[in-house]
Amino acid sequence: MNTRKFERRGLIITETLMVLLAVLWAVPIYYLIVTTLKSPAEATASPLALPSTINLQNYIDAWQKMEFPRAFANTLFITAMSVFLIVLFGSMAGYALARTSSKLGGRLFLFFLAGLVVPFQMNIVSLYKIVKALHLMNSPFAVILVDVAVNMPQAVFLFREFVHSTVPVELEEAAEIDGCGTIQKFFTIVFPLLKPVMATVIIIVTLNVWNEFMTPLLFLQSRANDVILQEVSRNIGQFSTDWTAMFPMMMLGVAPLMIFYLFMQKYIIAGVAAGAVKG
Amino acid sequence: MPTKTKKKYVPGSLGKYFAMFVAPALIVYLVFSIVPFLFTIYYSFTDYTDMNPINLHFTGIDNYIKVLNSPLMRTAIKNSLIYAVVLTGAQVVLGLPLAVILNMKLRTRNLLRATFFFPAVFSSLIIGYLWNFILSSSNYGLINNLLAKVGLPTFNFFTSQNALYSVLLTQIWQWTGWAMVIFLANLQSISGDLYEAAEIDGASGFTRFFRITLPLMCPSVKIVAVTGLIGGMKAFDVIYSMTSGGPGDATQTVMMVMMRKGISDGFYNQGAAFGVCFFVVVMILSAIMNTIMQKWSDSIQ
Repeated sequence: MNTRKFERRGLIITETLMVLLAVLWAVPIYYLIVTTLKSPAEATASPLALPSTINLQNYIDAWQKMEFPRAFANTLFITAMSVFLIVLFGSMAGYALARTSSKLGGRLFLFFLAGLVVPFQMNIVSLYKIVKALHLMNSPFAVILVDVAVNMPQAVFLFREFVHSTVPVELEEAAEIDGCGTIQKFFTIVFPLLKPVMATVIIIVTLNVWNEFMTPLLFLQSRANDVILQEVSRNIGQFSTDWTAMFPMMMLGVAPLMIFYLFMQKYIIAGVAAGAVKG
Repeated sequence: MPTKTKKKYVPGSLGKYFAMFVAPALIVYLVFSIVPFLFTIYYSFTDYTDMNPINLHFTGIDNYIKVLNSPLMRTAIKNSLIYAVVLTGAQVVLGLPLAVILNMKLRTRNLLRATFFFPAVFSSLIIGYLWNFILSSSNYGLINNLLAKVGLPTFNFFTSQNALYSVLLTQIWQWTGWAMVIFLANLQSISGDLYEAAEIDGASGFTRFFRITLPLMCPSVKIVAVTGLIGGMKAFDVIYSMTSGGPGDATQTVMMVMMRKGISDGFYNQGAAFGVCFFVVVMILSAIMNTIMQKWSDSIQ
């Protein structure tokens, strides 16, 4: 009885301390949000207070300076294409590698896994040359294809493990007996069963590609093709005394994923945990 | 079992379709990961620069000697190593207890988990810009502003001694929640029976943590350590936005220098050699990490 009481009190103290820590953890994000609505004078006088007025002019300026709709569309296109290609190619390869017992299959799988430990950043010089040689410079497909290659090993690994452990061979046998061809069998029977691991891959790749800065910086030089992060960096680079005007730009930069997180928080946390692969 | 219809279908093989299923992923991976890797090694032994883009000559290990003799590149490797080790250490030391606490029956634990993980969703580039405003020494820097308001001396986060650790501070803030999520997934796979048995034996919370929890956390610690080290070595975005490598060269990292030397300045050969050195350092780090983790899991059994 006594220990239980003691334990409950301990839990309450722990919870209080953790809530305080979490509040402290959230201060930078809170600061980002409230400062977007303040003038430099107000932000200096009371940095953590709620804004005294709601002035959206800074947002309107940032929206225009960053050419936000265009930059957003570019980022969305690059992310969506990368996710699509990784899910399609990754699931096909992962499935084939899970269903083979040949030596070649085993070696190919190890070959893919090697990509997990080789940092692609070491190759930027030659990647730059290859992208140029393929006439992909300044095309969103340069970023897409490099991002697909970078994220492919993890996707192949996750799909292979999932097919191996979860998709019953008996089901495929049944389909085969019913006269279902290999391709049809994959897309109508296996593919729909991959939903859980697909969610994991989609979440991880979305976060990676949306937040990727180096590949767009290397391959997208013209402003018409650039992504949100390049717009943020371009506009924040130009310092002015009107420093609170920078905050709506940062806010617009993080807002899409912030909204994605607020709605999908449970799935994102689960996806990140499920996708962690030892390197 | 083997009837005539089943002979055609051998479970465990796709037959002639195998190549078709593997090819798309393999081709993209080959062209944009493996070929660049081989070219990096090739370029690192040549005189390939912006001035000499076509007629390549074999130059032996010249580029490697230049890289190893360059103070800038040595500083960059040293900084990246400090960065990777401190960040990884902090992720384990802070993330593990955080995960253990948030695995308890707290009423707000889902909200708490979501809050600590939140920064991991954002781009490191923007995190860098934001923290520049928070740590700045000018009158708008949030922390120094607050310190001055309560009459305390202000602190310069961006001296050449402090700058690297100031950047690290922001990354610890950003990635601790990510480590926590990996640790939590591992914790939830540990059977509750073990704890019940320990409780009956009268083991205290601390004993339970060190005797039961910690040994079983080996897999997730390994993931966080290896991913953290490799990720730390690759640091670029946050340095680019916070310090651009400065003041002086105090926060130059491998990727900052590679972008400058290898791309902007046009020393493709040295950039490639530096890339190979970077790869070797990452391999050595991974090997050390694997040895440590192997010793750890051996000592448990």
